[in-house]
Amino acid sequence: MRDRAANARDRWERFQFQVAANSIGVLLRESQLEDGFIREEWRGLDMLLGTEPLPEGQAALTNRLNQRNDELVTHIRAGRFDGDSEEQLVRHLYETVMNKVRIASPNEAV
Amino acid sequence: MAVTDASDTLHAALEGVRQVLGPGAAFGQPWKLAGGAMHDSWAIDRMDGGGARELVIRVSPAGRADHQKTRREFEVLRVAFRRGIRCPEPIGIGQCTTGEDYLVMARVSGDANPRQLIVGERNANARVNIVPELADALAKIHLISPDDAAAAPSMRAPGAGEDPLAFERGVVEETYRADLLNAHPAIEWAWRWLDKQLRTLSPTGREHCVVHGDFRVGNMLYDDQGLTAVLDWEGTHIGEPEEDLAWFCTRVWRFGRSELEAGGLTSREAWLNAYEQASGRTVSRERVAAWEVLQNIRWCQITMMQARAHLDGRTTSHELAAIGRRTAETELEILRLTGVVERMGRRAG
Repeated sequence: MRDRAANARDRWERFQFQVAANSIGVLLRESQLEDGFIREEWRGLDMLLGTEPLPEGQAALTNRLNQRNDELVTHIRAGRFDGDSEEQLVRHLYETVMNKVRIASPNEAV
Repeated sequence: MAVTDASDTLHAALEGVRQVLGPGAAFGQPWKLAGGAMHDSWAIDRMDGGGARELVIRVSPAGRADHQKTRREFEVLRVAFRRGIRCPEPIGIGQCTTGEDYLVMARVSGDANPRQLIVGERNANARVNIVPELADALAKIHLISPDDAAAAPSMRAPGAGEDPLAFERGVVEETYRADLLNAHPAIEWAWRWLDKQLRTLSPTGREHCVVHGDFRVGNMLYDDQGLTAVLDWEGTHIGEPEEDLAWFCTRVWRFGRSELEAGGLTSREAWLNAYEQASGRTVSRERVAAWEVLQNIRWCQITMMQARAHLDGRTTSHELAAIGRRTAETELEILRLTGVVERMGRRAG
């Protein structure tokens, strides 16, 4: 895709190939890294919300992870992490966001 | 000049030009200009020597009900142009029989490519000159009062005495929650951070003013010597200067020069100093810092909205699908701006 971008007929075509190349890069990194990152995120949520066993299967894990993040958001909005527990929260937020950036835009994660 | 794209809006462009210039006006074949996700812009030359010769007609697709927005932009542009702000001269607006809204302006010379402005070798002089020129343009925009723009319909505005930051926070949150695809705890934390700032920030005591609403690298024309025109005025509303100053610094508009916080052109402090020099007003750094967080949340909302447009099937586009992944970059920027990255003892980006 990057070769196609370099030899594109015009700016529009070059941009389309660049986006496609970047998207393929995201998918590759996701396949390599996401499993580990999801488990890290789960452990972070355990520290903040209480420990829960990891569900079996990718679909169940993804689904329950989304639900736990919904719960985390509810707690944040309610002010549960204002004060002393904020440090633990921001550390989790930082680590989770950095892992997402490592997949989506690794140049931004240096 | 041959038509470069057989777009549906060509017929609207021709009809709009005839409505504005009159049935007797002679003009050449229009050609479609590059760029613009929301509208089609057509260049057209008037051939009979009356009025402006080089024109642009911007057409909004039918069904978008853009008439009020187009009129608002037209009326603000009229004030801005009369006051000597570098912008296209607005000539006329209207609606085609097929429902498209259009805006006719005099065409301004210049390049719109933001990346070339920031890194192009031939634009070295432009990069030096353009920061004070942009600051000057923005300072003049902020001299336009709500009363000056009274002819512009439905200008979004805080209430009398209301903090513009608090008002826009409400506007952005409403659209953010409507476009949310899944939970973003980092952004949720940022909302609370912002609310803490709002409780402690001192109001400036200034009257509200017109703000551009989308003042950034990418929404301007330049040549090798500097700024030729500020474009894309459809986001204008009533607010305070710090809002526009902060949007200009949003990381996504630095086009690879992330270390130059102000549009990839200069540091944030140099940008704010340039504005203070141009305007004669003092800028609140604390308010700019809070606005920057809100503006980055706003960009997250925009990336989600674009991804949603693909996921909902309204527009099939791998670009829109991919942009949703970039929300994480902006979340990291928010954590940077709120001091979290520094607290973690690392530098990111």
